[in-house]
Amino acid sequence: MKIFKVALGILAAIGGFVDIGDLVFNVAAGATFGYQLLWVVVIGVIGIIVYSEMCGRVAAVSGKAVFDAVRERVGFKAGLVALVSAQVVNLLTLTAEIGGVAICLQLLSGLPYRWLIVIAGLALTIVVWVVAFEWIERFFGYGGLCMLVFAVAAVKLHPSWGAVGQGFVPHMDTESPVLYAYFAVGLLGAAMTPYEVYFYSSGGVEERWGPKDLGLNRLNSMIGYGLGGLLSFALMIVGGALFLGEGIEPEFLGTIALGAEVPLGQIGLLLGLVGILFAVSGAAIDTLFSGAYNLAQFLGWEWGRYRHPRGAPRFTVTWFVLLVLALGVVMSGVDPVRLTEYAVIFSAVALPLTYIPIFLVANDRTYMREHTNGPIANALGIVYLVVITLIALSAVPLMILTNVGQN
Amino acid sequence: VRGGDSTQVFSRKPVATIALGLLLLSLAGCNGGTVDRHALKRDAENVASLATEGELLATDVSKGRSTKYFVRVHAKDLSRAASNLEDALAERPTSPGITSGVRKLSKLAGKVSGELQQLHLHPTDRGVAASLKQPLSDDADAADKLAK
Repeated sequence: MKIFKVALGILAAIGGFVDIGDLVFNVAAGATFGYQLLWVVVIGVIGIIVYSEMCGRVAAVSGKAVFDAVRERVGFKAGLVALVSAQVVNLLTLTAEIGGVAICLQLLSGLPYRWLIVIAGLALTIVVWVVAFEWIERFFGYGGLCMLVFAVAAVKLHPSWGAVGQGFVPHMDTESPVLYAYFAVGLLGAAMTPYEVYFYSSGGVEERWGPKDLGLNRLNSMIGYGLGGLLSFALMIVGGALFLGEGIEPEFLGTIALGAEVPLGQIGLLLGLVGILFAVSGAAIDTLFSGAYNLAQFLGWEWGRYRHPRGAPRFTVTWFVLLVLALGVVMSGVDPVRLTEYAVIFSAVALPLTYIPIFLVANDRTYMREHTNGPIANALGIVYLVVITLIALSAVPLMILTNVGQN
Repeated sequence: VRGGDSTQVFSRKPVATIALGLLLLSLAGCNGGTVDRHALKRDAENVASLATEGELLATDVSKGRSTKYFVRVHAKDLSRAASNLEDALAERPTSPGITSGVRKLSKLAGKVSGELQQLHLHPTDRGVAASLKQPLSDDADAADKLAK
């Protein structure tokens, strides 16, 4: 029974791995550089495994989620900077995800886009209000498994497997090194996006993880995120095998779905669209909760989806306000795909503000007792702190130099 | 548990100012100013991309491998993007020596937009889709030539 529960959790993690940032950047990277940037996805997946395991462990041992730790460990002023940057990035991401939900619904139903934004907002509110926490994650995670159709599409497109293999070895065969760097930063930002660890650690506290759950935490983060990374590979391979050869620059979510339709026909298209719908809907809920978790944890409010809304009223009001704000921005007509690129780049800027406190707390015996980082977690943690600092410093200059990836 | 003494490390005022400046510069970069050779190349590649994607979509429709709503919506998105390029290229000032190329590309973008509009209006008509494949392919080739 326990193995079954673990398997369900892992399946949900795989299905829930991809969000609109992964979709946009992986396919665009494939369409621009073929398979050359697959190695960056590997780096990003290992990074999110290292830090999600760390913050899950912190949650299980100390009962503290990320922004509890931020507030306590780095002080109010620095914590406030981290909070503001996290909330801005969360809101951008939430807006992009909700726009993505509406676009998917439109591609499936043909109904007017603005009506679908309203329907998406209402549906998300009902799901968040009514459905139990563990089932929200599983429902969208299992639905997101339809995205595996892109793995089948990648195989059916008959890529050059030798070139795919070479893609896992860092190399740069291009006349546009700055654009290459921009996509590398975007891919890392998308794979290690901060809301994932906010949600993961808060979820651990919500589900009352304790030290006995450390094994489950390790399995979930390693296998779930690891296998979820396969979806990113598949998306980049589809981009490289189909769009690069044809000279297509994917600017729409529909173009990504076309990547499943061309090799697999109608069934591929429908599975692709349903998979994207579940993936971006799940990510919308994750970012919505993350925003409310962050604020409530930082200000010391009662928080948690397991509580009755009246038991954590400020938490409930926060996620509702965030949802209304995001819906308002989407209704203004902003392009969700374009917004995604900004959200991913600015989330890359915010990475150190999220990951440094986690690293500090995971090494603090006051919180962690005998469960502080071991030598491997520390070595990887430090390497990734260097990597994300470089990413944070270079993200905005690269965005400007490449005109947001337009070269 | 240690607290506030590490705030200096995270002092962000200068960083925030620089970031805001860079963002404004970035937004200023997204302008509709003079079309130079580089911009012409970029826009021609864009038109070629839209035409090629339209051709892929038309091919799938002609084989009954797509769905009505997907074709209707996606063809409309592609058509609108091509139409936006047509308008921008028709109005924007150009660098000396490339005016005729820019206006030619504008007309081509308009043609691509019209063909994609046909796909949008007849999302299940295999005959219409089949008849659009070659023109869209030719348009993509013409745009590629202008990009060189």
